[in-house]
Amino acid sequence: MGTVVTIDLFGETHGARTREPLDRLVDAACAVLHDADAVFSTWREDSPISRLRRGELTVDACPPVVGEVLSRCAEAHATSMGWFDPWALPGGVDPTGLVKGWAAQLALSQLLGTGVEGAIVNAAGDVAAWGAPAPGQPFRIGIVDPFDPSRLACVVELDGARGGAIATSGTYERGPHLIDPRTAERASAVASATVRGPDLGLADALATAVAVSGTVDFVDAVEGYEAFVIGLDGRACSTPRFAFATDPVVVRH
Amino acid sequence: MRRAPFVVAGTVAGVAGVLLFHPQSGVSLGTIPSASTSSGAGSSSSAASSASSGSAGGSGSAAAGSSTSTSTGSSNGTSGTATTTMYTGTSVTYNYGVLAVKITVSGHKVTNVGIASLTDGGNFRSQSIDQQAIPTLEQEALAAQSANIQSVSGASYTSAGFARSLQSALSKAGL
Repeated sequence: MGTVVTIDLFGETHGARTREPLDRLVDAACAVLHDADAVFSTWREDSPISRLRRGELTVDACPPVVGEVLSRCAEAHATSMGWFDPWALPGGVDPTGLVKGWAAQLALSQLLGTGVEGAIVNAAGDVAAWGAPAPGQPFRIGIVDPFDPSRLACVVELDGARGGAIATSGTYERGPHLIDPRTAERASAVASATVRGPDLGLADALATAVAVSGTVDFVDAVEGYEAFVIGLDGRACSTPRFAFATDPVVVRH
Repeated sequence: MRRAPFVVAGTVAGVAGVLLFHPQSGVSLGTIPSASTSSGAGSSSSAASSASSGSAGGSGSAAAGSSTSTSTGSSNGTSGTATTTMYTGTSVTYNYGVLAVKITVSGHKVTNVGIASLTDGGNFRSQSIDQQAIPTLEQEALAAQSANIQSVSGASYTSAGFARSLQSALSKAGL
């Protein structure tokens, strides 16, 4: 999938604790990511998703996880009022806008109950976390300023006790790559769209939908999810319950 | 154009050690020492967007790497004063061309990070990509260092190639 993933574990270091069990945890999480890549990478010609896209396989003939992901895509499509539409993309169904977050969330679940006090999986900017970086502290996640990637637009808190995720979609990183499902053309209404919520797969899909639509209203209607958008004009807006830890400052050059 | 394959990194943090560098040419940097736990790539797949300095129990010596670059600076053994060696990571294909990362290592510390070579298929965008790749990773360093944040949302894809080549250089340096 061409994605860099970082896994961070947090906890007390005790004299007797060695690297090995922690390395094994990370390996287990990585294995989940590799498995997801083998199934869903559109860059691998022989992956089930590629074969599905070419019509060589039906969904039923794919590994069951494909059907599961497509059904989550259908839910996200409905939740986003159609703005997230993996079936609108040229070349066949492409669940990439949800799979990255879904896979990262699944990888994080490998680290639950393993004795570490906190964990973060960051898949190319989509972040899922649980636990705490230090006792009693929430995670603090920076959101990149789309007009200057060397600085942050704001900081957001994630309550790891309940689990939490942040996904950001934007055109600044590799040029316009979002497709407007109404026209099937490349669309870019915003510079950066961030969605926060309990599940990274859905947050990922909703962030994509917000980036294309330029609206956050449908996110506000979803229990537990909030959005923050930075427009191409540099103005920021957010849903009422978006948990800023610092006020957003966006400098448009 | 080929995409970089799936790349994974793991870090273990009590306090994470992170590489810090700046986008200007001539790149200055240092490392943020970890308080107690050493960190490093935890997975069998290479590449990392963060790495530790030579903190407690870190790799023994600054290995005399078999660098593929034409830079000089050979060193054998580490007794006495720290020697300075340059290592160039493998060239990686990213979505705009090919790049390779070069690091300068003094003792156990990375003292400089830069781009050893960058091709862009003749596209004028290479400069903006270069500028973007480094600041993107820098922001992770900024995050850990100054704003008391643990991660950053909205990273650039182009950092994938950079991170892979960087990790390759770090591996050659024995870090």
